[in-house]
Amino acid sequence: MKRLMNIMFLSCLKATELIEKKLAFKLSITEKIQLAVHKTMCEACSNYEDQSILIDKGLHNLGGSAKIDVDMDAFKKSILDKTNHGQN
Amino acid sequence: MKILDTPDIAKWVDEYAAGLLKRAMFKISDTEIAKDVVQDTFLAATEKLHTFKGESSPKTWLYSILNFKIIDYYRSKARQTVSPASQSLLKFFTETGEWNDPKKPRAWEDDDSHILDDPDFRLVMRNCLEALPEKWNACISMKYYLDKKGDEICQDLGITPTNLWQIIHRSKLNLRDCIETNWYNDH
Repeated sequence: MKRLMNIMFLSCLKATELIEKKLAFKLSITEKIQLAVHKTMCEACSNYEDQSILIDKGLHNLGGSAKIDVDMDAFKKSILDKTNHGQN
Repeated sequence: MKILDTPDIAKWVDEYAAGLLKRAMFKISDTEIAKDVVQDTFLAATEKLHTFKGESSPKTWLYSILNFKIIDYYRSKARQTVSPASQSLLKFFTETGEWNDPKKPRAWEDDDSHILDDPDFRLVMRNCLEALPEKWNACISMKYYLDKKGDEICQDLGITPTNLWQIIHRSKLNLRDCIETNWYNDH
């Protein structure tokens, strides 16, 4: 019974680890059950999972939003200066 | 075979610098670093001009050099060591692995995906990502900005999948906490 309890009850540290494993890789059947059981009892870890998924989505779309605020003529000139120097 | 010389490089700079910079900025959020990487790309192209056989277009060739340079940048970043203090999970969890009360994830009032379109929220995310230790930032940037699969990141950075998973876990704990502190507590 004690062994069963150990298998079924995860710490929050372990649960968040499994949440990230689930998002980045894959969980085994046992891990899936462990995590599901933990989340029914733990609101904080359920919040963590929702928020981690949201952050995932956000990170995927974070690139490319930076505005290009560069003086292109000066930038091109600096490249040319460098490359010509490299030729000598 | 066409003999290429410097005038072609000048033409390429004129034609492709803007596009390369845009790509670099998409993959590396820091403008100055993105500029350096594009500059390095042209420098490498100048040095390796004799290897360019004209089998691919100059554009394809330059972009492939740029991709190498971007991965190189993240690779050097990933070599930085992470302080034991940053690695410790005791900031978030007790000795027995339960949440430390102040660090317990609260429900976010506004956790709908539309928040991701909010430029201010994106800025908070960006800043939180920058606040991560260099090595973690490199792994997370490769995963999300470069859209690399786990095994590719492991290969590029010479780390094990377990190691990467731990880095992602610690990075996410810090990111989540940073976003909660800087967005939800301030609003």
